Formats: sequence, C-alpha cells, structure tokens
Amino acid sequence: MQRILNALLQYRNPVLYFFLLALSVSFSFNQSPFHQYSFQKYGFYLSSKLYYIKNALGSYYDLKVINQQLLKENEQLKKIELSLGDLSLYPFDFKQPKRFPFKVKRANVLKNSYKNQRNFLILNIGSDNGIQPEMGVISKDGIVGVVHSVSKNYSNVISILNKDLKINVRTKKSPAFGSLVWSGGSSFEFKIEDIVSNAKLSQGDTIVTGGMSSYFPLGIPIGKISKLNKIQGSGYYSVDAILFNDLSQIYYAYVIENSDFKEIKSLQKNISQ
Amino acid sequence: MNSFSPISIISFITLVLGQVLLFNHLHIFGSINPIIYLLFFVFYRFESNQTFLILLSFLIGFSVDILSQSGGAHTIASLTIGFLRPLIIKYAFGVTVETPQSYFSDSRTLNKLVFLILLIAIHHLIYFSLVYFSFDSILLIIKNMFLTLLFSLILIGITLSFYPNK
Repeated sequence: MQRILNALLQYRNPVLYFFLLALSVSFSFNQSPFHQYSFQKYGFYLSSKLYYIKNALGSYYDLKVINQQLLKENEQLKKIELSLGDLSLYPFDFKQPKRFPFKVKRANVLKNSYKNQRNFLILNIGSDNGIQPEMGVISKDGIVGVVHSVSKNYSNVISILNKDLKINVRTKKSPAFGSLVWSGGSSFEFKIEDIVSNAKLSQGDTIVTGGMSSYFPLGIPIGKISKLNKIQGSGYYSVDAILFNDLSQIYYAYVIENSDFKEIKSLQKNISQ
Repeated sequence: MNSFSPISIISFITLVLGQVLLFNHLHIFGSINPIIYLLFFVFYRFESNQTFLILLSFLIGFSVDILSQSGGAHTIASLTIGFLRPLIIKYAFGVTVETPQSYFSDSRTLNKLVFLILLIAIHHLIYFSLVYFSFDSILLIIKNMFLTLLFSLILIGITLSFYPNK
C-alpha cells in the first residue's frame, strides 16, 4: 500500500494530467455531437480493421465447420430442388399438395474409379446412417449411381460409368423415355436407347431423370443431347448424350432415400408371382 | 507570480475574461482569434509547483470553454501545455545551472522567443486539431494554426514588453 502511494506521489503529475485529460475529453464529447460522431467514426474504422484481421486469421480454422454447415444446408436445399423439379413438369398440379417420398442424405466420396468398364464408388455412410441397397446417389449437377451394397459405416455404389447399369431418362420437353447407358469411352459420353422415333426430339435438349425407376425422383437434370439419328427401319432413335456431371471429380454426393421403396417392390413382386 | 496569491487570482480572472469578452470576438481576416490566456503559462514561475500548474491549466481552459461555449478544446489544449511546460522550458532554455527561475529573470531573447513559439504552437496545434477533428481538414488545421500563432505571438510579445526584466 505504502509503495503504491509512493508511486502515485512520484508520478502525480502524469496521473493528474491523464485524469484531467480523460475528464475533459468526456466533457468535450458530451458537449458536442460532432466530436462524438467523429470519434465513433474513427472507433468504428479501427474496430472494423481489427475484426477484419481477426476474421482473416480465424476464418481458415473455421473452414471445416463451415464446410459441414454448408453441406447440411445443401442437403436441405437439394431436397427442395428435387421436389420442385418434380412439380414443374406438371404445371397443372401446382395447386394440389403432392406426396414427395424422397429424402436426401449427404455423404463424402472416399473412393471413386472411372477408368474401368465397371466402376464403383465408396461412400462414408452406411447402414448405421440408414443407407440401404438400391438407393439412388446424386451429386451437385447430376446423378452418380445406385447403392449396391452397404456395410455398417460404408456403402458401395455402382457408378453410372458401368455398362450394366441402365437409368430411366426422358427429355425435359418431350415425355418420351429411354434408358441411359454408358458407352464405355470417356466419362461424359453416353447413349440413350429405346426412344421411339415418333417422339419430338432435337439436338441440345436437356435430359432429366424419368422418375419411373424408384431410385430417382423425376426431373434431375443429367445432360443434353449431342447427336440425334433415326435408325432406318427400327422405329427407334440413336441418341448420343453428354453429361453435365464430371464423374472423375466427385467429392460430395447425396444419397436419395425413397420411403415408398418397399411398397413399390412388394407390388412388383405381386405382379411377377 | 507566486503559486497562490491575490495577484495571481486577479490575473487568472483577467486573462479568462479578456479572452472570452475581447479576443474571441476579434475575427482578424474573418476568422483569426488570437489566444491571450497563454500568458498565464509565461507568468507562472518556472520553479513553482508543477502539480498545481496542471490543476490551474485545467481550470483556465475549462473556464474559457464554459464561458465561450466551445466544445472542450481549450481545456484539453491548455491542460496539455500545463503538463508539457517543463519539457518546453528544458528545450528552450537548456538543462544547465543557468535555467532561469521565471520567464523575466532570463535575458536571452532567442531562448525566450523559442519558448513562446513552442508554447503557442503546441497549444494551437492541439486546439485546432480538436476543433476540426478530422484527417481530411489537416491543411485547414495547419493554416489556421500558423496564422493564429502569428497573431497570438505578436499580442503576447507586446503584452510581455510592458513588464521589465528582473
């Protein structure tokens, strides 16, 4: 205590000066709104600079969390997008509430092959996350494949770059449907089989999922028609398509769960029996 | 002028009233009002109590501010001058045995001039910076500072010439 008092006495002039200075500054700022405003302006400038630096330093460490948040948000948006795409092809149904049985789950792609004739992907979610075989998998701009088998934490997906997989597709304008098959060449080039030749197609039409398989909802854009030929005498088109999706560069995917899947399967079983 | 005497109180009041009633209304060349109360910092004896000077300098600036309804710039500027005065004295008169006991006990004209200019310049710089309070008007601040410095210096010099050197 004695020491503090001594120090105070020793530095009494600066202490007194700064005390009175603070007093007069506060007096001055209370008196004049201009000074108050200017001071706040400089204060704001300084604090914004400071927060900018803090943000620039801190944002890097937050990237992972933000990434997760964005993925979550995308998952919800994807669901809305899918249900909207489903409706827009039936403009007269807008007013009626419609069942949309599809749910979306996000996943990271752990392994992806695209150079073989039969390619597979591995996702980091499995039966623990509610993934079951025969669920559709899409990415941000197109479809990826169909779940083939699941383990507890991982799932194996048949890529659409697989000669065995056929996906039901149609064009956005015309309701004629066909099957999308990989021709085995580059990862963009596909063929669409079984489109009847009386359908009105033109080059550059957008191809969307057909909604007739229980894997994908109707209306996910996949690619566009690059070449169109009528095969003489067969009654079918020969269609070449180019995909929007670059399947060699997929890091995130969304698994689509169809909650009516069992219902549809059991109906199909009844028919075959 | 000793630290606390009737004469010092009278001169204090005279300087404040002279500043507020007369010199704040001169408006030389439209806007220049010389500041006369800085004479107080010249009169105050060099070896007198420094803490008391800081209090007095706060008081004199505060009185001028209250009476002329200015924002508080006079208070801050004169308080700072009161605090910095020992440094200015050291710079102007040198840290030697010859350091004078008051402004009037020294006979070197140049040192006196340097002392006055430093005193007035620092005060005016702080005063005008606070009045304009913006980086954009820095040229205006400097212009006003030098012009007012000139007139304050002339007025203070004339006033001081009435007092004989002791």
